[in-house]
Amino acid sequence: MNMTPQRSSVRQYFHNMINGITSMYEGMSITLASCFFRAQTIQYPDVDVSSHETLIKDYKGNLRGIPENYRGMLDVDMATCTACLICMRACPIDCIIITNVKCDKETFLGSTGKKAIKTRAATRFDIDMGKCMFCGLCSLPCPTGAIFHTKEFDATPDNLEALVQKYVTPEEAERLEKRAVEIAEEAQIAKAAKAAKAAEKAKQEAEAAEKAKPEAKANDPKTTEES
Amino acid sequence: MLIETMTSLGVPELLAQFIYAVLIAFLCVNFIAIYAGVVSVVERRVAAKMQSRVGPNRVGPQGALQWLADGIKLILKEDLIPNGADKFLFKLAPFLMASGVAGAFIVLPWGPSSVIGADLNVGLLYLISVTALVAIATLMAAWASNNKWSLLGGMRAAAMIVSYEIPVAMGLLPAIMIAGSLQVSVLMDAQGWAPWDWIVFNNPFAMLGFLLFVTGSVAESNRTPFDLTEAESELVAGYATEYSGFRFAVFTLAEFANTWVVGAVGAAIFLGAGHAPPILSSLPGIEVVIFVGKTMFMVLILMWFRWTLPRFRIDQMMDFSWKYMLPLSLIAFFGQAIYFLGTWDQPGIQIVVSHLMVLAFLGLLFLFLNRVMINFKHQAVVVNSPQTELAYLEKIGKIKPKVVESDVATEEAP
Repeated sequence: MNMTPQRSSVRQYFHNMINGITSMYEGMSITLASCFFRAQTIQYPDVDVSSHETLIKDYKGNLRGIPENYRGMLDVDMATCTACLICMRACPIDCIIITNVKCDKETFLGSTGKKAIKTRAATRFDIDMGKCMFCGLCSLPCPTGAIFHTKEFDATPDNLEALVQKYVTPEEAERLEKRAVEIAEEAQIAKAAKAAKAAEKAKQEAEAAEKAKPEAKANDPKTTEES
Repeated sequence: MLIETMTSLGVPELLAQFIYAVLIAFLCVNFIAIYAGVVSVVERRVAAKMQSRVGPNRVGPQGALQWLADGIKLILKEDLIPNGADKFLFKLAPFLMASGVAGAFIVLPWGPSSVIGADLNVGLLYLISVTALVAIATLMAAWASNNKWSLLGGMRAAAMIVSYEIPVAMGLLPAIMIAGSLQVSVLMDAQGWAPWDWIVFNNPFAMLGFLLFVTGSVAESNRTPFDLTEAESELVAGYATEYSGFRFAVFTLAEFANTWVVGAVGAAIFLGAGHAPPILSSLPGIEVVIFVGKTMFMVLILMWFRWTLPRFRIDQMMDFSWKYMLPLSLIAFFGQAIYFLGTWDQPGIQIVVSHLMVLAFLGLLFLFLNRVMINFKHQAVVVNSPQTELAYLEKIGKIKPKVVESDVATEEAP
């Protein structure tokens, strides 16, 4: 009311009338124009929304499909995962849980093209998608690009447990743990062997030194003389 | 005619009249049921078109059977009666409302002026009176529901219908004055097939009367922009809050049937009824086709109103009725009287005025269509893509065109 300029009540009366008619004229023309315009609704289950190219096959409106950088359900490529725990620490709501053990050393190229060395393997890699807020903080720092967002969004399960995505099977975890024990044993054996070798070497050296001592003692004057 | 046939066969006249009345009522009520169902789907599709949506398109081809699904759903629902409600009035109200609307169908024509259920000599007066039964039914439903929202909705409905009865009746007066009768068949026969023979283009005051009639009828049938009685944001569902199942369906049915009443009265009294051009007049049923076409055109205009205009506030609605529509209806009435006095014995002036009215209307129509085209171009912009949005803004001159670097390079090279 206060926004309108001050008018006499009679002028206001006729102004209201003309204003009503003109605004109605404009509004009616807008809705009539909309009648001839394409429907913008994406009829979701009938059309493939996974990308713009697949969408425009069956859809003639102006909306686009899912963009390439869409952050949908998380997925992990275990072949390139080095179990470095960076994603677990980056997650602000702790929905990723990883435990790892030592494994055979392996060198490969990550999906980002960087060389990666795998020294540890995950025995447990759980993502609780019920907690996940799709912030993308886990996939951002991943050194090998093993954890990434897919474009999948319709992943409703029928129970809460099914929301926890598990990427390491118990058998696989068992195998890895056994292997880790073996590696540890091997390492111990190797260490022991190394220690034994080192001890032997030290012994030899000591023996050699002991042998060399009298000689050296004997040779000492000689050498001094020679020098 | 049917009554005469029956009496000649030896049926007592009272019984013959009763049989005739029951037959007409049966036909009218069934027509209302089917029409309301079909037009509810049409309305939803039209609304969807106006909002760039798709609308109901799953049940049947393009959603054509959606109304059957809705009806079955509503009939199968539990019929709840709230605790503390006045049971008798609560049960009665929906059917009183439907009968108020159905009563109007008796005097409505169906094409030729001879095909009217009962061609009363006070047809229009009867029509205006019997549709006011809706106000009583609304108030009854509201009061019997024992619910504050219902009561507020019902009070609003009563206030609104009482307010808008006057402009509607006054808006019909110019037409009644031109035809010199309240009888619907006489009003229809006073017009010709050509637009300049229609009462709406007879003179500016008749046109004003038509506009007032349409506006007031929208208010009387409780449709947007005057659907204050069932304003969801304020009153849940107004007087229908406590209703469910079949009773609610009857309310909806009455509301949609009202659109036909408004359309048919407008078409019969102002838009030349079912008069066919002389070339086409030999075709059988052409009058019905033309009449139904004009009626549906009016119904579509009501839908167009509904999905364009925002809802009034209650005080604005009362202002609109008493401060604007009532004076305008008085202008229409007295203007028509003075116009008649001036041109009583000069039919030439009347013909010139009616032809000029048609021309002015056509001019306005083309202006409006031009405006529609402009608005269409404004809307036909690809959304959700920065390039297209920027290109559009460049085209209409909101931002400066971006200079492409390669162009600059090629210009500098020579």
